Amino acid sequence: MRAYVNERGRIGLSGLRELVLSGTGPILGVGLALVVSAGLILARGVNPLVAYAAMLEGAFGSVAALANTGVRAAPIILSGFAVGLGYKAGLWNIGGTGQIYLGATTATIVGIIPLPVPAWIHLLIAVMAGFVGGALWMFVPAYLCAYRGVNLVCTTLMLDYVAGFFVSWLLHEPSPLAEKGATFPMSPLILPSARLPILMEGTSLHAGFVLAVVLGVVLHFVLHSTTFGFRTRMVGKSPEAARYAGIDVVRWILLVLLICGGLAGLAGAGEVLGLKLRLFDYFEGFVGFEGLALAILVEGNPLGMILAGIFFGSLKAGAGKMQIVTGIGTPMALVIEALAVLFVVAIGFGQRGGVAQPARKKMRGEKR
Amino acid sequence: MNQSADIALRIEGITKRFPGVLANNDITFEVRVGEVHGLLGENGAGKTTLMNILYGFHQPDSGKIYIGGREVRITSSRVAVDLGIGMVHQHFRLADNLTALENVILGIPPKRPPLLDLESSRARFEGLTNEYGLDLRPSTPIWQLPVGDRQWLEILKLLFRDAHVLILDEPTSVLAPSQIEQLFKTIRRLADDGRSIIFISHKLREMKEVADRVTVLRDGQVVATVDPRQTSPTQLAHMMVGREVFLDRRPRPPSESRRAVLVVDSLSCQDDRGIPALRDLSLTVHAGEIVGVAGVAGNGQRELAECIAGLRRPVSGTIRISEEFIAGVTRDPSLLGYIPEDRRKTGLVADFTVEENLIIKTFDQSPFSRRGVLQRHAISDRANTLIQEYDIKTPHPATPIRHLSGGNQQRVVVARELNAEPALLVASQPTRGLDVASVEALQGMLLEERNRGAAVLFISTELSEVLAVSDRILVFYRGEIMGELMAETADVNLIGEMMLGHRGHKDPAA
Repeated sequence: MRAYVNERGRIGLSGLRELVLSGTGPILGVGLALVVSAGLILARGVNPLVAYAAMLEGAFGSVAALANTGVRAAPIILSGFAVGLGYKAGLWNIGGTGQIYLGATTATIVGIIPLPVPAWIHLLIAVMAGFVGGALWMFVPAYLCAYRGVNLVCTTLMLDYVAGFFVSWLLHEPSPLAEKGATFPMSPLILPSARLPILMEGTSLHAGFVLAVVLGVVLHFVLHSTTFGFRTRMVGKSPEAARYAGIDVVRWILLVLLICGGLAGLAGAGEVLGLKLRLFDYFEGFVGFEGLALAILVEGNPLGMILAGIFFGSLKAGAGKMQIVTGIGTPMALVIEALAVLFVVAIGFGQRGGVAQPARKKMRGEKR
Repeated sequence: MNQSADIALRIEGITKRFPGVLANNDITFEVRVGEVHGLLGENGAGKTTLMNILYGFHQPDSGKIYIGGREVRITSSRVAVDLGIGMVHQHFRLADNLTALENVILGIPPKRPPLLDLESSRARFEGLTNEYGLDLRPSTPIWQLPVGDRQWLEILKLLFRDAHVLILDEPTSVLAPSQIEQLFKTIRRLADDGRSIIFISHKLREMKEVADRVTVLRDGQVVATVDPRQTSPTQLAHMMVGREVFLDRRPRPPSESRRAVLVVDSLSCQDDRGIPALRDLSLTVHAGEIVGVAGVAGNGQRELAECIAGLRRPVSGTIRISEEFIAGVTRDPSLLGYIPEDRRKTGLVADFTVEENLIIKTFDQSPFSRRGVLQRHAISDRANTLIQEYDIKTPHPATPIRHLSGGNQQRVVVARELNAEPALLVASQPTRGLDVASVEALQGMLLEERNRGAAVLFISTELSEVLAVSDRILVFYRGEIMGELMAETADVNLIGEMMLGHRGHKDPAA
């Protein structure tokens, strides 16, 4: 019998060890990104060490800095899950942005209506509304993908723009969601009963961060240790084999995508219920796409997304301090994130499973 | 070119090592001008690696390659083509949406770029098809061509590029007996024109028929280069496998049962493109009997298997297994075991581990999961049991299945499908791509299932195998049954005719 080829560190590992071993790619990618970015900083005539030191201090140097990192990380991690879960099922959800908008909107609607229930129930309903909003926004692309074979990347991406304009329209008078007489389009304040609790007095670190971390651990368990995860991974790795094994692949894709949309919706809900306390016009920034970057960086590994999400959050939190100290603009944080993803994709190309490997083999015309 | 040498190609001491595997170990042989040189070996013997080296996909770790007496370094397939080496891959490399002519000129630099030389090429195309008596029209899109024609087209591509050394990798696996005969004639003709042909196969009979000399590879090494006319098939098989193998028809006890297990009644269905694949087809398989389905690939065998497995919805007709009507995938492992044609894509999840692959049909049942949570211990216990019972060679139950050899991958499928002792076993091309030892083992298992009392539907495009394994044979052609014969007494020529659409009379014994 022919020998098998051992790939170091890729065999028979699960949980933490796998996380550590699979972390080498992302860590290397981040390292290279920091080196290249140092060159960019140098080109601006600034000592990169000074810039990075400022960033570190801004991200981890004080309680306030730590809180800031957590606040920034929470929505990125949640929107990362929205991509990562789909990735595990072989699906590319590029529509995090739209789902975040819609999740934020439904959470806001519940959050500004006084309900005759205890505060924690009001909050719970508002958070769930965020999940439902994101899932609903995903429904059309999910249905088209599962039942009609329409390219998910196209539909979800296009709906991002629709969602942005839709929310903008909702926030302009005479919409009932618009704050009367406001100078900037925004909703009324979220009622105190529907706000996420602040974790550290005097900072803005809210429970959304805890939600993200807990969900990550839950997601890790679900993917590795439940029939739900087994089904999802099987559909992702080989839809044909999944069908052969008796799984209704079409319905499963629909279900997984709706959950993806819901997870992104939670990211939006967390932002309005925990941080911004209102729905603002174009509040989303780049969180949806940062989630995408996050998922690619660690191949959809939930625990990896927590760690990498905190890293992304620290970049954004530290960038402010860096700007004050060195004059390098905050977009440098996004530059580093983007470079890290590019390097990880480049390093991983051909060495890991997933999309890259078969494509490369095909190109080189190999048989095995 | 070197005029003096009658050696077209010489390979000297080629060694190629992959991580953990010595794929080619000091391989030396030569191919003469005008010779058909057989390359015989099991899967994993190193044939493909060697050819990939010749075609520039891999670089050897050491060793030399001479073409026409001159040492060459083949750094890419482009270099190989320039040196006159051409290859027909087992899996064709044709662009489905382009025409035959477009495929042929694909990759040849045009004389006046960016314009294509369609007109001048068309004349040459037609010249070549006339010369070789092929019925190929240049403007036909590939997807409309039958498999046999696609193969001609691949050969035509090589002739267009003026290849002197033609490598044919298992070219007969997709052809009917008469088409194989025609291919062999063409191969002889190409050799007579002064071209050299490397003919790769693991079928002994073909080697005897077409090759002038045969080089046998085993475990990455050359065992010998022999004259097939002076070597018996048994000797060749022994060289190839390294021990005695038994692939002939095995003796079997007569089966008394006449209990119908699989009853297919006027079944019609379509293939993936919506073209009718089965037409009003009826058949019955009894307990304790192996019914072999013979036929050229693509005549509805695959669709039949998929309908029975519930993966394809029939247009009309019914399927019953042990009196149960089939609608959708059967999840009762004691009813149906199904070894699908495409093992790596359908039968297994390549990225899953061995133990995960053993439960892909039962993961949501007790004891493998409880309240939605997978039970790791139960899963690995089951894996360890089956690995022992079915002699699956794997370093660990948690090894990804893609690291296993084809034979061991198939054992995983077989273990999963047969473990619950199904009433019906559908085996669709189960030996395809397996080495001889695994084929031998698998045929033995099919017979064991029969003797246990299972009904077995055995689909294969290799006639010799159908004859060796089956009790009763059905011949498929364009989704219909052309005839039914008892394997013990079947006339091979008659089956061959039926495979091409000649309706046979019903064998009175059947």
